[in-house]
Amino acid sequence: MSSGTAPTVVRITGYGVLSAAGAGGKALYESVRSGALPSGDGGAEALAGYPAPPGVRLLPVPDFAPREYLGRKGLGALSRTSTLGMAAAELALDSLPALVGPEERARTGVVMGTSTGSARAFAEFFRESYEAERPYLVSPALFPGLLLNHCASQVAMRHSYTGLNASLAGGAISALSALRFARSALLTGRADRLLTGGVEELNAQTAWAWQRSGALGEQAALGEGSAVFVLEAGGGAPAGTPLAELTACEVAFTPLDEGPHAVAASLARCVEDALRASGAAPEDVCVVSAGASGGAGWSAVEARGRGRGLAGHTPELLRVQDVLGETYSAGGGLQLAALLAHWAGGAAPTTGAWGLVTSVGHDGSVGAAVLRRPSAIG
Amino acid sequence: MSEPRLRRVAVTGLGAVSSVGIGVKAFTEAIREGRSGVSPIASFDSTGFRHTQAGEVHDFRPQDHLERLPAEKWGRSAQFAASAARLAVRDADWDPEALSSARAGSAMGTTNGEAVAFQELTEQWLAQGIGEIDGALAARASADRIAAAVNTELRLHGEAQTFGTACSASNYAIGYGFDLIRSGAADVMIAGGADAVNRATHAGFHRLGAIAPDLCRPFDEDRGGIMTAEGGAALVLESWDSALSRGARIYAEVLGYGITCDAKHPTQPDRDGIAECIRLAHQDAGVKPEEVDYVCAHGTGTAANDSTEIAAVRAVFGDRIPPVSSIKSMLGHTMGAASGFGALACCMALWEGFLPPTATVRSVDPALGPDLDCVPGRARPAHPRIVENHGFAFGGNNAIVMLGRPE
Repeated sequence: MSSGTAPTVVRITGYGVLSAAGAGGKALYESVRSGALPSGDGGAEALAGYPAPPGVRLLPVPDFAPREYLGRKGLGALSRTSTLGMAAAELALDSLPALVGPEERARTGVVMGTSTGSARAFAEFFRESYEAERPYLVSPALFPGLLLNHCASQVAMRHSYTGLNASLAGGAISALSALRFARSALLTGRADRLLTGGVEELNAQTAWAWQRSGALGEQAALGEGSAVFVLEAGGGAPAGTPLAELTACEVAFTPLDEGPHAVAASLARCVEDALRASGAAPEDVCVVSAGASGGAGWSAVEARGRGRGLAGHTPELLRVQDVLGETYSAGGGLQLAALLAHWAGGAAPTTGAWGLVTSVGHDGSVGAAVLRRPSAIG
Repeated sequence: MSEPRLRRVAVTGLGAVSSVGIGVKAFTEAIREGRSGVSPIASFDSTGFRHTQAGEVHDFRPQDHLERLPAEKWGRSAQFAASAARLAVRDADWDPEALSSARAGSAMGTTNGEAVAFQELTEQWLAQGIGEIDGALAARASADRIAAAVNTELRLHGEAQTFGTACSASNYAIGYGFDLIRSGAADVMIAGGADAVNRATHAGFHRLGAIAPDLCRPFDEDRGGIMTAEGGAALVLESWDSALSRGARIYAEVLGYGITCDAKHPTQPDRDGIAECIRLAHQDAGVKPEEVDYVCAHGTGTAANDSTEIAAVRAVFGDRIPPVSSIKSMLGHTMGAASGFGALACCMALWEGFLPPTATVRSVDPALGPDLDCVPGRARPAHPRIVENHGFAFGGNNAIVMLGRPE
């Protein structure tokens, strides 16, 4: 570390996002505000010729062309999971005021949340083994792409980032798991800068898995996307103007057999703990970027837990999942991106200093991140 | 500069579900004797493969070990993880109720997640069409279920983190647990990893020409490659004070860890990346190279791994390299569980006083250089004080954990 002292804060200095709203935070903010999405192809390209599951609205990243972000070379062996995450990382790096210098690469790393990697790549590799003339005559170049760490390692390879590199599977809270891990790693001095986020790919295998499991409920919508944030450890005053400070990120898991009330209580504890660690009170929170925000079932669990954690305060709510659909491993990242875009583009600078991101999985996992906005950082 | 007081981290319980034995006692006996867990593949139809051996856990009946987790609703990797965790907690003599109300969570590593669920889903897809896949099975396929299974089985309410950093993932999990306990964010963490033998992993390594025909022979001049394998490994990590107040047996102290990324090649290991990882681990643990008494190698049994790993060790240790052995010579490559099993072997080596062997090595590859002691055959009585546990992975994810004899 350049300062020689232990870092005390974690700042977000840039980000990139791709979602059904398109590329970038501005488009995301507009969609979350209006509820309208650009007209896409209904998922035709992502389905790659397979039939669409009935009763599920598919919300892909519209017109996603990896070469626009990554060039033409070497894309053949990359899954949509990897290219989405890599493209979001490119956007995040492009948003920085300065390039990451060669001397900084050993202390720069990547942390991605993904729960299955590319389910399509995994399933198709199995298929190849069943259908090939010999079961081992699979495509060797596709083999590393089955792994959960493929996206994060590809980002590192592309930029020669030899610092800490991790991939975390946390279901719906994957991106918050990644943010928590990255924040801890920065504060313990294990890296200076971490490109951190989550990624989820829409494909036939995943869409049918959701449809057959019945987990999407009524008015089912399934999305995809990736959000990547540049997190930097800091001690004293920031060099430029950061987008926000990640003051806390708490995650927890409650065994499902303890019931939905226990899960809601667990989220409430995460919110309370994150606010306490941030030195903020419930009434200081002026905006919440929500995973599920309306309806019954798990949405109600998240709303209940959040309400308890905020001691009944009801800040402005960004209904991210309502607009973008279920985006699973990318969810918390897209929510955080929406929050940053809200602060950058919409909210008056006087409307308060603190923001909250909450997330609840169908499996008993919960997470809460607390952010401080730039005008309050000084 | 006000450093918060960092807490020491103890390893107080060990759990193994492995091809050489279930439970740390059986596992350790097998490791000390150099027994092989390799057998003909039974979990999938291996017809048509040229190499058909693997390190499967044939006698695994999750219901024999689990107290709460309904095994039939969870994937095989989750079952391995939860069973290993339950065994580790019993070994640590933790009261289940007390543990459930402690500030406790889990961190588990994996390479292929619930690959067996993907395998069955693909079979359904090919046989009946994509619209006929089993929804309940699909709901089991997400890798995060591995740590979720540990929390569910043990009724833990802290975080459940699953690391997908492939074959070094258990070391990531141990390192993360170490940081959480050291900083005071948690008091107990169950850390380890799990993976299950499956067709895709076997086919992929087979295609790369990396699968050994009979046995995995790390460091041998006639090595044939890796042996795909499976299992679950778990360690109970807790704060030193917690361990002392419970009167717990302390197998080892976690001294620190290091992580680097090669950022060069998707599958080939890199000497410089690994050497830097060793240096970072030493620095984090406050250990000098000459203080390290043993290296539990990644030691997969491929020529590329062996030469790169030994070159990296030489780059850091210089003329005097400590004994370096590979337990993959017995277990095969248990993927995401591999560095978890390595950590188990290291803890038992510190606790009982031995060096784990490279059981299958016959003639050490002269290309690896002079004076390479890979502890051939059976375990050697010794009293290591500080040991180093290697884990490397596709994607260049290197992670190394340092463990010390409790003092």
